[in-house]
Amino acid sequence: MSSTTAQLLRRATSSTFEDLAFLVLDDECTEEQAQAPLDAAVAVEFHGPVRGRLVLSVSSSLLPLIAANMLGEEQARHVPLQRDALGEVANVVCGNLLPLVAGAEAVFRLSAPEWLTEATVSRPGDEPDATLTCGAEQGRVDVRLFVFGGERSHALTDSSALAAGAVS
Amino acid sequence: MAFNILVVDDSAVMRTMIVRTLKMSGVPIASIHEAAHGEEGLRVVQEEWIDLLLLDVNMPVMNGEEMLTRIRADERTRDLAVIIVSTEGSETRLANLQAMGAAIVHKPFPPETLRETILRVTGVTDVEYYGSVAASSDQLDF
Repeated sequence: MSSTTAQLLRRATSSTFEDLAFLVLDDECTEEQAQAPLDAAVAVEFHGPVRGRLVLSVSSSLLPLIAANMLGEEQARHVPLQRDALGEVANVVCGNLLPLVAGAEAVFRLSAPEWLTEATVSRPGDEPDATLTCGAEQGRVDVRLFVFGGERSHALTDSSALAAGAVS
Repeated sequence: MAFNILVVDDSAVMRTMIVRTLKMSGVPIASIHEAAHGEEGLRVVQEEWIDLLLLDVNMPVMNGEEMLTRIRADERTRDLAVIIVSTEGSETRLANLQAMGAAIVHKPFPPETLRETILRVTGVTDVEYYGSVAASSDQLDF
């Protein structure tokens, strides 16, 4: 895994949670956060110069808070909207990460966020190219970037390309 | 003058967030319409008088780039004020959208950024500001 990609994943995730969900992520998990289950997950697939998917998992205890911060307390009571809110966070993380990873000229098509079950959150044989685990309130946030396809090594291991993307 | 506004985004959550920001922005609003993709948005533009369009880029059926191209090609709508609200990061694509006269607000956006862009695009200066939309209190719900 490229450490630069991991840094970019952290940057995209932190800024999205702060600006969209008004939630500051903790770089290090407390003991309580580390024990919180990652029992809610959503995935966004992307197609472009590289293809892959981004999986965002959180402790379900965070869902009402994220939804309330994005939509207001009244709307946040509805579980489907809580899931949609997490999906939108994943979509924005992915949308912000891809230009950093693949360059500012790259055009990607993102799929609609897909809610994952315990059975679909991991696919046999898939290894993430970058991972991030943070604490948030009394829960945990985990993000995994999977990149597939022939151009993967070019986009994700070329440090000069990554640096160029990072500053664009 | 009160504005008739159209919000086009395939995410219901994002539409709700944008509408919430609009209502708190102090911009005088006559009506707010919503559409889930460009084709649906074009139907609204053809059937209703719209003063301001807030448009996502990546959407199913018809994306925002195509919708904007069609709007600029139609004599009746070519001068419509448009704000792109998107995660789109491709500089090529963003330059194309700006060349078509659209302002850009990048997701994630602080609500103040969207508000300031709306005020700049609409030219509204005499507004009563209702405070930060970052608050999640029930008192701020509509």
